[in-house]
Amino acid sequence: MDLDAILLARLQFAFTIAFHIIFPSFTIGLASFLAVLEGLWLSTRREVFRNLYLFWVKIFALSFGMGVVSGVVMSYELGANWSEFSKVASPVIGPLLAFEVLTAFFLEASFLGVMLFGWKKVGPRLHFAATVLVAIGTLISAFWILSANSWMQHPTGYQVLADGTLRATDWLEVIFSPTFPSRFFHMALAAFLTTSLVVGAASAWQLLRDRTQPESGMALRMAIGMFAIVAPLQLFAGHLSGEMVRVHQPLKLAAIEAYWTTRPDQPQSLVGLPDRQAGKTHYEVEIPGIGNLIQGVPKDTMLQGLDSFPREDWPVVGLVYWSFRIMVGLGLAMIGLGVWGVILILTKRLESSPWFLRSAVLMGPSGFVAVIAGWIVAEVGRQPWTIYGVLRTADSVSPVGPGQVSASLLAFMVIYAVVFSAGAVYILRLIAKGPAPDQEPAPEGEGRAPGSPLAAAPAEPKEV
Amino acid sequence: MPAIIEPPPEEGDAIAPLWKRLGWFLGIALASTLATAGVAYALKALLV
Repeated sequence: MDLDAILLARLQFAFTIAFHIIFPSFTIGLASFLAVLEGLWLSTRREVFRNLYLFWVKIFALSFGMGVVSGVVMSYELGANWSEFSKVASPVIGPLLAFEVLTAFFLEASFLGVMLFGWKKVGPRLHFAATVLVAIGTLISAFWILSANSWMQHPTGYQVLADGTLRATDWLEVIFSPTFPSRFFHMALAAFLTTSLVVGAASAWQLLRDRTQPESGMALRMAIGMFAIVAPLQLFAGHLSGEMVRVHQPLKLAAIEAYWTTRPDQPQSLVGLPDRQAGKTHYEVEIPGIGNLIQGVPKDTMLQGLDSFPREDWPVVGLVYWSFRIMVGLGLAMIGLGVWGVILILTKRLESSPWFLRSAVLMGPSGFVAVIAGWIVAEVGRQPWTIYGVLRTADSVSPVGPGQVSASLLAFMVIYAVVFSAGAVYILRLIAKGPAPDQEPAPEGEGRAPGSPLAAAPAEPKEV
Repeated sequence: MPAIIEPPPEEGDAIAPLWKRLGWFLGIALASTLATAGVAYALKALLV
């Protein structure tokens, strides 16, 4: 396979996975939010929690559906474009993905039916059990996917057979590879953060239109409470994850921080334009002497720079460097928004602060951007390997030509543009409608079924 | 038109006996599982 086909296959996977990660990173947190809302409704019987549940469950159902569809595509893509990877690694990776389907996806899919169609039929307590099971299912799903990906970042508990394929020798070492706990913690928090920012943005949007709406006031307070706690925790989780990178993937760390030379007492680069060819960062703003401190190692410890590794093994330094800064920058902005929100809640000025409400709306998509940026750091930073130190990306692709890969890439782009744009627009319309129950019932025989996602769509025009 | 996403029972609504509610719980979960499995096998049949 020539380089063009490799690049196209990588672009295709990057495109489909970047689309896919948007949905689970939202639904993981949203499922837990729904469980909390229903639990609060059961214990207090306050209408506000019931209305919020009925509003967000529609968005959850749509997002869950789009997440499933975009996820199925990728498993087939592994066979179509990455058959060499599948051949070599499937004895190890395959069972992890199968466990995800059997223990998580089926759990979610089974009890989602009860969540959506069975509240009156099963009663409040069993319905709550279904919501909790779906929430647990989303976290189990993240567990297996992060386990598989962490193994690819730092493979352990395997052996290479004579034919070049891999076999697991210790499944516990495969599942709990060294980078897995911190990466799972980091991703789970990212999902909760993403959801709380979306809920906060949707609620702030409603409050900008009607500041007396109780549902949006409550949801915004819950969202602020969540990201005020989770955003600082995420900084800690990110640091733990970074320590794992320093220990197990020093080349990735060198790219993230643009350490061009191996030395003690590394500087901390804040911004700049890394130049892979020249081996330096242009227009760099750096703080000398604090790089080692930030990495949590003594000042005289040697931190490996890119010059310690063959140039052909370097990832795309600029992309990794800037993705990391976007992720961290947004994380700091989330901490700031949380502190601001808590102050406004404590001083009882939340609904009367339009600047905060506008900022919350603006920050709504920031969780998605940070998640994608974080995954670019993890995945592009691992290049040129699919399985770090074991299997190169160039050796992982299928024997297909650039024409075939570009045709399927084009098809994906067109189909995704239509399907997911329609889905996203629909979710935005639901969010714009808001969680407040309708004041006037729809006239008989008109409109959509109340409580359905299609209820947000305008009724068909009448013939005059 | 009845709601597609079923709202909770209203205050004062009669609650069905536990065996009936458990039956619905397991029935809907099983039907959902079978629907998911059906789609999975259909996709497999289409692609393999």
